[in-house]
Amino acid sequence: MTSGLRRAVWTVVLVVVSFLITALILRVSGYSVGDVFSGIIQGAITATGASTSSIRWAIPLLLIALGVVVGFRAGFFNIGGQGQFYMGACSALAISLGWREGPAGLVILCGTLAAMLAGVLWSLFPGWLRVRFGTDEVLTTLMMSFIGALVLQYLTAGPMRNPQGTGQTAASERIPEAFRLTGGSGVSLTVLLLVAGVTVLVWLVLERTRFGLTMTLVGRNATMARWQGINVRRVGLGAFALSGALAGLAGAVELYGPAARLVTGFSPEVGFTAVVVALVGLLNVWGTVVAAIFFGGLQAAILFLPIVTDLPPPALVLLHGMVAFLVTIKFRAVRRRRAAQTEATAG
Amino acid sequence: MTAPSGPAPAGVPAVRCRSLGVSFGAVRALHDVSLELAPGRIHALVGQNGAGKTTLAKVLGGLQVPDAGDVRIAGRDIPPGDVRAAKAAGLAMVHQHFSLPPSFTVAEALELTAARPGGRAVYRRGDLQRRWQEDVAEIGGTAALSTRIRDLPVEARQSLEIVRALATEARLLLLDEPTALLTPVAIDSLFERLRSLRDGGVTILVVLHKLREVAAVADTVSVLRDGELVLGPAEMSEVSQGRLSDAIVGPGGHADSAVGVRAAAHESTETLLELAGTSSSESAFEPGLTAVDLRVEAGEIVGIAGVEGNGQRSLVSVIAGLTPVTEGTVRIGGDEVTAAAPARRRLRGLRLVPFDRNAEGISRSAPLWLNQSALRLLGRRRGRSPLISLRQYKRQASEAMDLWRVRYDTATQPAESLSGGNVQRLILSRELADGVEVLVAAQPTRGLDFAATEFVRRSLRGLREAGAGVLLVSSDLDELFELSDRLLVMYGGRIVAEFDGPYDRRAVGDAMTGAVR
Repeated sequence: MTSGLRRAVWTVVLVVVSFLITALILRVSGYSVGDVFSGIIQGAITATGASTSSIRWAIPLLLIALGVVVGFRAGFFNIGGQGQFYMGACSALAISLGWREGPAGLVILCGTLAAMLAGVLWSLFPGWLRVRFGTDEVLTTLMMSFIGALVLQYLTAGPMRNPQGTGQTAASERIPEAFRLTGGSGVSLTVLLLVAGVTVLVWLVLERTRFGLTMTLVGRNATMARWQGINVRRVGLGAFALSGALAGLAGAVELYGPAARLVTGFSPEVGFTAVVVALVGLLNVWGTVVAAIFFGGLQAAILFLPIVTDLPPPALVLLHGMVAFLVTIKFRAVRRRRAAQTEATAG
Repeated sequence: MTAPSGPAPAGVPAVRCRSLGVSFGAVRALHDVSLELAPGRIHALVGQNGAGKTTLAKVLGGLQVPDAGDVRIAGRDIPPGDVRAAKAAGLAMVHQHFSLPPSFTVAEALELTAARPGGRAVYRRGDLQRRWQEDVAEIGGTAALSTRIRDLPVEARQSLEIVRALATEARLLLLDEPTALLTPVAIDSLFERLRSLRDGGVTILVVLHKLREVAAVADTVSVLRDGELVLGPAEMSEVSQGRLSDAIVGPGGHADSAVGVRAAAHESTETLLELAGTSSSESAFEPGLTAVDLRVEAGEIVGIAGVEGNGQRSLVSVIAGLTPVTEGTVRIGGDEVTAAAPARRRLRGLRLVPFDRNAEGISRSAPLWLNQSALRLLGRRRGRSPLISLRQYKRQASEAMDLWRVRYDTATQPAESLSGGNVQRLILSRELADGVEVLVAAQPTRGLDFAATEFVRRSLRGLREAGAGVLLVSSDLDELFELSDRLLVMYGGRIVAEFDGPYDRRAVGDAMTGAVR
């Protein structure tokens, strides 16, 4: 068995174990495990509109997770996808509301580019801190994420608030219907093709370009890369930029797709779940696609479950957490074992 | 297979192992090794890379569970893989790889890991440093006790590992290639220390690479080849150098022909590397350069001698473009590159064998083909598809590795699976593939076995024949004398002397210690 296949099998085993542990906790808490799991199946696959809903959630997860994969390839852990996603959505919204009369295609293009640029800027700042001062990017991207959430809150409660809006949540105006790429379901052929194209493009960049190989060398051993004449800082900044652009793109797709307007704290988990998606996907593009669909289904199920069971939504966040927890442990264990093997075979 | 050697002293042997066997998958690391070591002597263990020396040391220390055989230390049976029992029997080990915690200061690391008697639970920093000052000074270590381990150069870390092992009340000391990273001066003082420990009754088993070192320190010598004990333990006085090297290399082992080097064609008088009045700032461990003048012409090997830590690292780093120049110029192949990025220097024909081959020369977890292809990733090629053919990269890498006789299974295996000699072949296969104008080789044979060392030296000579220039930085005077057309001596960041062959060891040695200005 190749090592890649072995890791994939291990990951599936761990996901199953997380389900079992979650089932045990639910059982002990007095819920019917059978009902809950049949509810998950319904909410993710079989109920009316369930599979569409699963794909709808898989899309932002995939785009942001691909960004995590890109960053990791160069040795950086960009966990600030949430903030980059928000800033992307806000920029696309600003373009779209500011230029309502514009031709739809052009506005969407400009809005999408603006969203990617915003994602780039939001991740390039921690990236610059990292390559210039060695600041830990896990902390700074996370902090930037919180700032992003607060900026969104400010915009939707202040300058961009819908003046006709009623109700308590702060939300923006809706963008004109002409600018939308999907209906309320969030899935359309255009968006699917776009996401598929981006995925293939990311794979090509990582695996079939000199930039991608250079990122791999830098990520594995930056010292060696420096001695080989590689400009490590530039490669690092490139990886951060590409990573942020993907998260920003996810924000634009969200706005032009299912959202149509921005609400304070919308999709609050997606950026963080995407990190788990990338890890479960073994930081590999195709693995991440599979993981994104899986977690998209889980997200759809979480929203569906309260309808058919008396389970409170946070109960299933437990499942998320369990998967993240186990996969992260495995991640560490693999690294340690590899280090130990290295020592054992030397000399 | 093993005959207890020499005048058998009274009492039990310090180490007795019988029929040890260890396999890693299909690889037989040790096979039917039986060995008895007399107490109170210095025993050397030699053999090529991969001969099983480290494995044997680990089995004795309880760090490796043997598939067969048993171990007794000082007459006590050591259960397989029982580290504590081995320690309790008086064994202490110095590993080839560093195991001190990087974020600790020198004094903290020693206190924590050495388990020296008389320790206290709470210390003030000053007390801790005073407690270890003498030990560090004794081994010739120059590291300040408040320095963090991660900020120390490899040489200093290695010597601290030795300090740590010596600090315990060990009766049996196992040293796995302790000299690999030490300077000649430090090696002398290490050997002095080993002799005085022996005279105090400690038994020492030391894994060594160089026959000269074996002759200098060992009382007996044992040779491992392909996991089998082929010689010894034999009294040093009874073994000739020739017999020893035959035992190490084995029948037919000397045949390893040189490799064709593809270098750019040159007029024989062209200057390929030139530093003129070049200075740089000092680094954490070393003086910077002070007004260094240096030329390497086509078809010559210029040696750089010097006690380590006298600016050799700064020199190589300045040429590579990793350390900025504060004054003067650097030219490669006639072009001024004083302020040029490392990539431009590489594209101009600069090739490098860095000091620390595992950390600077390869990426251990990356596949072989990617390590081999690193230089192909540099530079822009206009008008060509941005997409590359992985198959072509892998094929080119395999061809180059085959040409340089790297021993590997597949091009996709990680570089960390190679032995030291093979790593160096991999590096040479990359650096000397084509377009070489000038090669800067830093300690290219350090820690390599005899065959690999010969291979590297032959390659450097081949490069000279092909008309490239070579700058050889080494702390091995024999190597420098053998290879260099001219020899420069560095001291305190300056070039203090220049010699033409034949070389006078005494004069060069004086220059190295700064006696000649």
